Amino acid sequence: MARGPPTIPSIAFDGLGATREFYKTIFDRNSIDGRGLRLDGYVHRGRDYNNAFWDGREMVFGDGDGRIFTDFTKSLDVIGHELTHGVTEFTAGLEYHNQSGALNESMSDVFGSLVKQWSLNQAAAEADWLIGAEVFTPGVEADALRSMKAPGKAYDNDTFGKDPQPDHMSKFVHLPDTDEGDNGGVHINSGIPNKAFYLTATDIGGFAWEAPGHIWYEALKASSAETDFQQFADTTFAKAGALYGSGSAEQQAVQKAWREVGIRISGMMLTAGGAGRGRAALAAGREADSLAALAKQIETLSAQVSTLVKDVGALKKKG
Amino acid sequence: MKVTLAKHGGQAAALNLGRPPRMVDADTLSPAAAGELARLVAAAKAAPVAQEQKPNRGGDVMSYTITVEDGDRPTVLKQSDTGMSAAFDALRSWLERHSADK
Repeated sequence: MARGPPTIPSIAFDGLGATREFYKTIFDRNSIDGRGLRLDGYVHRGRDYNNAFWDGREMVFGDGDGRIFTDFTKSLDVIGHELTHGVTEFTAGLEYHNQSGALNESMSDVFGSLVKQWSLNQAAAEADWLIGAEVFTPGVEADALRSMKAPGKAYDNDTFGKDPQPDHMSKFVHLPDTDEGDNGGVHINSGIPNKAFYLTATDIGGFAWEAPGHIWYEALKASSAETDFQQFADTTFAKAGALYGSGSAEQQAVQKAWREVGIRISGMMLTAGGAGRGRAALAAGREADSLAALAKQIETLSAQVSTLVKDVGALKKKG
Repeated sequence: MKVTLAKHGGQAAALNLGRPPRMVDADTLSPAAAGELARLVAAAKAAPVAQEQKPNRGGDVMSYTITVEDGDRPTVLKQSDTGMSAAFDALRSWLERHSADK
């Protein structure tokens, strides 16, 4: 059967499928919850609806108003972005305000961009690092909703003004933690960790979903609801050391990237062995203690089982 | 009657941050359009607010503030994508199409 031109539902369906396939192939993650959660997407939401969102259970796409925005399913990175909110919800649970919220947004931009790059088989150096480049109507003078490569330069026109995203901690935008303040600027200050990932990926080179993506994914899983920029940076440094070796090119790239956006890896993370000290190593130490205790318990239980087997054997002989 | 629409959050949060609320002045509308606006406003005011499906823990959910200036005291209606009445959404959509930057 011949396939007709792609429809909005089919584009959305393909985008959800590509995102699911990305997480399975690259991170061996079975859907956004890791347990095969069915992905539901709703298109054609309302009228003149200029948005796409994840409501905690499903994705919702608007068609845009046709003047400034077109339908949001056209952007694979936006689809990946929204589904990644689900991944974040099932992993770190980063609270959607202030720095943790900006990290939440950044994780969605990072992995949304990686879904697009992976689908196009693009190396980091080839990617455009734009989020939502396809959602504007042709007459709008804007590169995209956001630029990970150059936060603050996605657009500058009479309609929107200048892109307010910062690319460095010195330009952090302090907004109230209210709806009017974008919950402390979660869509604004995400520019800083976005830039850190872009720098890490282009410094390491190759495909961004490989080493950089794995470092960020492991750091996301190791984060928690209130993780802030400094803590996340430290965790990426620790994970880079754990995955690729202390002092490796990957770890150095991570450290350099964060430094370039104004965040220095915490001193105790940088002591000899990098990943051998600091919060990550302390956690690893506690884990090792737990494992040793567990091994001791298993040894004790095994001895008890051996004794029971002997006793049963003896009873059988008597019987 | 003047009605303004302010939008918060969402994928276009950064773009909306730099834009003033959108406004419609009923005095500048045709009688038919003014009547339609009045009907939509009345319906939005009267509609029970839908219960939020879950707290906004993320995911680019937008919220909207519609302010109706008609008489002495303005009426402020505020709802979000995950807890919006059909009447509020109809008014929001109409304002998107008919309003200009304030």
